[in-house]
Amino acid sequence: MKEIPEHLSRMPDNTAVKQQKLPAHEVRFSAKFVLCIFFGTGAFCLCVGVILILSAKRAKKIEINYTTICANCAELRENPFNFNRECRCSIPFYLPEILEGNVHMYYKLYGFYQNLYRYIKSRSNTQLVGENIKDVKDCTPFTVSRDGTPIAPCGAIANSMFNDTIMLSYKLNSSVQVRVPMLKKGLTWWTDKYVKFQNPSLNDLPSKFAGSTKPPNWPKPVYELDKNNPDNNGFLNDDFIVWMRTAAFPTFKKLYRRLYRIHYFAQGLPAGNYTFHISYNFPVTRFGGEKSVVLSIPTWCGGGGFFLGVAYTVTGALTWMASFALMAFHLAWEKKKVTPKE
Amino acid sequence: MSLESSSPCQLSLLPHRLSHQSVAEVERIVKANDREYNGKFQYADNRIHTSKYNIITFLPINLFEQFQRVANTYFLFLLILQLIPEISSLTWFTTIVPLVLVITMTAAKDAADDYFRHRNDNQVNNRQSEVLSDGKLQNEKWMNVKVGDIIKLENNQFVAADLLLLSSSEPHGLCYIETAELDGETNLKVRHALAVTSELGADISRLAKFDGTVVCEAPNNKLDRFVGVLSWKDSKHPLSDQRILLRGCVLRNTSWCFGMVIFAGPDTKLMQNSGKTKFKRTSIDRFMNTVVLWIFGFLVCLGIILAIGNSIWENQVGGQFRTFLFQNKKEKSFVFSGFLMFWSYIIILNTVVPISLYVSMEVIRLGHSYFINWDRKMYYSGKAAPAEARTTMLNEELGQIEYVFSDKTGTLTENIMTFKKCSINGRLYGEEHDDSVQKKEITKKKEPMDFSENSQADRSSQFLDPSLKEAIRSGDPKVHEFFRLLALCHTVMSEEDSSGKLTYQVQSPDEGALVTAASNYGFIFKSRTPDSITIEELGTLVTYQLLAFLDFNNIRKRMSVIVQNPAGQIKLYSKGADTILFERLHPSSKDLLSLTSDHLSDFAGEGLRTLAIAYREVDDKYFKEWHKRREVASAATHGRDDQIARLYEEVERELTLLGATAVEDKLQEGVIETIASLSLANIKIWVLTGDKQETAVNIGYACNVLTEDMNDVFVIAGNTVGDVRGEVRKAKESLFGQNNSVVDGHAACEEPQQLELASVREDTVTGDYALVINGHSLAHALESDIKHDLLELACLCKAVICCRVTPLQKAQVVELVKTHRNAVTLAIGDGANDVSMIKSAHIGVGISGQEGLQAALASDYSFAQFRFLQRLLLVHGRWSYFRMCKFLCYFLYKNFAFTLVHFWFGFFCGFSAQTVYDQWFITLFNIVYTSLPVLAMGIFDQDVNDQNSMDCPQLYEPGQLNLLFNKRKFFICMAHGIYTSLVLFFIPYGAFYNVAGEDGQHVADYQSFAVTMATSLVFVVSVQIALDTSYWTAISHVFIWGSLAAYFIILLTTHNNNIFGMFPNQFPFVGNIQNSLTQRCIWLVILLTTVASVMPVVAFRFLRMALYPTLSDQIRRRQKAQQKARPTRRQRPQTRRSSSRRSGYAFAHQEGYGELITSGKNMRAKNPPPTSGLEKPLYNSTGWLENLCKKTTDTLSSFSQDQTVKL
Repeated sequence: MKEIPEHLSRMPDNTAVKQQKLPAHEVRFSAKFVLCIFFGTGAFCLCVGVILILSAKRAKKIEINYTTICANCAELRENPFNFNRECRCSIPFYLPEILEGNVHMYYKLYGFYQNLYRYIKSRSNTQLVGENIKDVKDCTPFTVSRDGTPIAPCGAIANSMFNDTIMLSYKLNSSVQVRVPMLKKGLTWWTDKYVKFQNPSLNDLPSKFAGSTKPPNWPKPVYELDKNNPDNNGFLNDDFIVWMRTAAFPTFKKLYRRLYRIHYFAQGLPAGNYTFHISYNFPVTRFGGEKSVVLSIPTWCGGGGFFLGVAYTVTGALTWMASFALMAFHLAWEKKKVTPKE
Repeated sequence: MSLESSSPCQLSLLPHRLSHQSVAEVERIVKANDREYNGKFQYADNRIHTSKYNIITFLPINLFEQFQRVANTYFLFLLILQLIPEISSLTWFTTIVPLVLVITMTAAKDAADDYFRHRNDNQVNNRQSEVLSDGKLQNEKWMNVKVGDIIKLENNQFVAADLLLLSSSEPHGLCYIETAELDGETNLKVRHALAVTSELGADISRLAKFDGTVVCEAPNNKLDRFVGVLSWKDSKHPLSDQRILLRGCVLRNTSWCFGMVIFAGPDTKLMQNSGKTKFKRTSIDRFMNTVVLWIFGFLVCLGIILAIGNSIWENQVGGQFRTFLFQNKKEKSFVFSGFLMFWSYIIILNTVVPISLYVSMEVIRLGHSYFINWDRKMYYSGKAAPAEARTTMLNEELGQIEYVFSDKTGTLTENIMTFKKCSINGRLYGEEHDDSVQKKEITKKKEPMDFSENSQADRSSQFLDPSLKEAIRSGDPKVHEFFRLLALCHTVMSEEDSSGKLTYQVQSPDEGALVTAASNYGFIFKSRTPDSITIEELGTLVTYQLLAFLDFNNIRKRMSVIVQNPAGQIKLYSKGADTILFERLHPSSKDLLSLTSDHLSDFAGEGLRTLAIAYREVDDKYFKEWHKRREVASAATHGRDDQIARLYEEVERELTLLGATAVEDKLQEGVIETIASLSLANIKIWVLTGDKQETAVNIGYACNVLTEDMNDVFVIAGNTVGDVRGEVRKAKESLFGQNNSVVDGHAACEEPQQLELASVREDTVTGDYALVINGHSLAHALESDIKHDLLELACLCKAVICCRVTPLQKAQVVELVKTHRNAVTLAIGDGANDVSMIKSAHIGVGISGQEGLQAALASDYSFAQFRFLQRLLLVHGRWSYFRMCKFLCYFLYKNFAFTLVHFWFGFFCGFSAQTVYDQWFITLFNIVYTSLPVLAMGIFDQDVNDQNSMDCPQLYEPGQLNLLFNKRKFFICMAHGIYTSLVLFFIPYGAFYNVAGEDGQHVADYQSFAVTMATSLVFVVSVQIALDTSYWTAISHVFIWGSLAAYFIILLTTHNNNIFGMFPNQFPFVGNIQNSLTQRCIWLVILLTTVASVMPVVAFRFLRMALYPTLSDQIRRRQKAQQKARPTRRQRPQTRRSSSRRSGYAFAHQEGYGELITSGKNMRAKNPPPTSGLEKPLYNSTGWLENLCKKTTDTLSSFSQDQTVKL
């Protein structure tokens, strides 16, 4: 074998990558390691589960389904030709103990599919951001009115906006009813209010919305959504923005109002008699849905029910069971391995 | 290769094509020096194409090939679906971008591959040759050579096309060629021109006027056949293959020759034998195609379920919704809606098989190919040749090889014959230097022997036993006689150049080794004339009269010369097969015989090729009488051969034994270990060689393909179909016993049962068997129904050796095993004769660094030494397979988990084909978030390290049995994915059902849900890959952590206010990360999802490891222990076989050279004018030539195994 001069040698480089000799540690499921992980995870899950269940238990919540309570209104709304007839409905209820803290009022819809593909798609972000009021091309089928004027806000989501008004009054004593002060602001994500939704211009909304028309289901145009507060109009209406953030599932609740903690309500909602005054506009029986109003105080882990707590507890329990089973297996196997040697 | 040439290639494979082909060209008519005339026939010119495409055909052909992949067609189909707005449920870029990317990348790679083929073709096509045109020699490129041209070849040049030899520098138009490129045989072969044309000599003007017309057969692939007639000057001369120089041969020992081109380019026998370039794909690729179909079926099922769901939903709920939500009140049929939804869901769920799977597979294979290229342990410094993966498509197939088809010469052996040992007069020489390579190198370094008195000593000789030298010095007469015999009794021709340097022309490398050895020890063969031999005996020139030359043939298995030394003594020197020679010994040699016999057994045990050496002093009177009788016999008109044979028998008796020689057909380094290791890995090795049966069997024993402990070695060497059938049946009977013979009688008609039967029986056969079959039997077997029987028999044998096979037969054997055994095959070879085999096997491996590069160029992998095969298969192949399977399992799992969430979501979104995730996430999930960690695993993962892979060949078995990725594994992955998708969907669903954020704002919106799910998914699959990666390198860390980081970075980007400001429609998820991912409950959901989907996997893995540990698990455990206690490198004990087998004798050349020598026709006259003395010996010459031809045709017609003259 003759020597090949160095410069002619085509010997591959001796690097760790090229020779597949990279320093490495090998992951192996040793019994100790696996059992430790299992016991640890199990313990953790159980703890979290118990804490979640406890806090969910403490959370107070009042939910009143007014679909059937306001049956006459529901019937009225079955017929679309009655769209401009008002229908009010009062729902008295008794709060046995004080709801302490930041009380939030939600409306909750059952069986309303906000997650349909064609529904979710049916909106125009360029319009909503105020760039181009007339950009309605993504909004099928609610793009233009019969006479061809573009709809603002266009699309199925906007058109189907929840338009009940819910008012809560507190019976201070037998004769005096106080309207519970509620905040209309701060219901939305900051990004939604300040980035995602913009009016074409800050002032003189009606002229900016000239050349467009209201969605067919709406009684009034978008710049008249809140007559009391000019800043809460146009695309920047909080209720509108909340509605436009579509829900993931057909049953969902959306934030409607926040308690303004002053006077009697500085601590929250005191115990006593209350009444919901509802202007019933949103037809749900037409599609077999239901609606309710919810009062609750969010907890540190959200206002969700018991599910997460139970799920954590179950997972923790199962993990522990599995760890005991694995340990038993391991010990039996170790024994089996040792015995033949003896 | 063009269409024209590829079809005749299949001629012998597909007999029914014959009639069709014969319409094209029945016979070929070629007129010398007349391009115009030959142009009429439009014969192929000498340009060759091995490339697949040219610039125009590239796009259509390449696209066609690419869309043969089920997956690509599937994506095209999806793309078309997406263009229908009613159906489209994803944005167009989610499918088209990856598809275009993949197609372009693959096309670019194919284009690069083909570019290199073009370059190689060009290099060959642009070789220069001297063509006679317009009355003078002109340099032309090979590709411009046309049929009918006369070209001049010089020594050591490659023959450019199939030529009719016209004249040469040697007397009588002889010329020598080496056909190694064609059949792997390295001994020189003689070709001779017709007497009429050889007169033309180098006379350009006469050659230019030569206007003979050749009428011959159409192009075919039979190397040893040529039938044609040359018509010139009103007479006709029959042409045989003896007049033809084939493309691929190399001219040797002939300073020039002229030839007329008969077949050019693709019509040449070399190209006709080279088979078609095939598009190779691995079995995993094919399985993946099936898997894609299954998945597609699965998708259709899901689609149907969802479509039905949609119809019901539309009917029950959606109908009412429509009036409320949608303006167009016209009643749509809910069945039609379901139908549209079906297609929408097909599009959404398509990510189960993302196109990035294929890109990733290619990338992984590319990585593995680079590892092969970079492997220092597969680098051969002797030739500066690193291993090279020439195809990047087949790596994992290397981990599944069941059959290795190996060429012999140049692959198993180094093609160097060395004189290793000898036994002289009962004494053994050369013992101590044969064991280890290292020793050899040591002895080489110190100047071991003093050859000062011998300038001709061949320094490269390995055999340098000082004791032998001493014996020569001390004048031991037997030793002298021994070497004298070696210097006298042979057919070697010598040539002395001006500087006095001797070169030997050898017809058989064995003889070359012996003569060289003799000259090393001071008995230098100098020169010969037809009736004398001159040797230099320890410095003094002695000329012996050559009285008779008793030629070798296969029945005699020996060769003798009768010489008279200057002192007048007549001696018969004989060398030959020990069994034959020992029968003819004088009784006085009896003691020596047993001693020598023992030595011979030792030699044989080491796999050396032996010859027994004996001599006899012949009485002067007796010789004269014998000589007379012989002359009479030679003149006899019939039965001449028999008479002569009898005379030879008569004189070759009462011999005195001198000893024995042992020549090593030097195996390449590490061949024995490699073969041992491969057979431990349950890989069956078949040796396919063009060599003689004896040589092949001998090598078989030498490299442990055949072993002494084998129960039986069946030899199939029938001359007719009937014989072969009988022999095969007999062999099978002895395998199974008589009982099954009835079943064996019915052959191919019940093929499936037959094969099933074989697999059943495979277990019932105990013991090791081997099969040796020769080319003729193989030809019979392959063309008839016996092939199934033969295959069954062969597959039951531990080892199979096919000898005397043509290149095409090699391919046919490979094809046979490939198609009927459903096994993965690998062919390894070094010469052009192996090209077709290399091309037809699943994997072709070429030994590079040899002179001819065809094999390496046609191969998928090439390296310099056979022993690297071990590392290629056991380390790289195993790793590749292991990694690829792991990759596929993980990838399918990942995408099931990713995609099936849409299915569950369907039940909650009115089956409206709403995706769960953001479109960006869907587009990037496979490309960015999860691609690199799985790629890192697919490229770098190791379950056991390379050393352990080499040491435990059993680790290779899972690949052969296809255990790591099969139906079962696929369904496990699928189940795993489905489970994960369930967890992934229903835990967030439960949690989101009624949830509100910490600040009371709702988080159960679609976008938060999408982000939660996506984040959970990314976490789950990252943890899963972390668990799957068994070899955690820095790269794994970077990629896994990096992917998580990338996910969040991209999330931040796509949810960014500014980017929303720029493209409000493309990035509607603005603000999600700030609002959703800052909620505690969402993180609790993500954590729970991760725990719930990963823990069961950990538990299952742990239990499986504890209860059913695989071999690699055990070795990993051991490996871990080894790492702690610094491992001591175990040296595999050198495999040495001890056997009593009498090995084959060393004779590689065919009969006829004796006659050639005694007639003196191959000897150059010392004084120039060669033509002057031509008249007289011409008659003689044609005599022997005819004789030779006759023998050739005899042997051809009788199909006797070993006398066949190849080419």
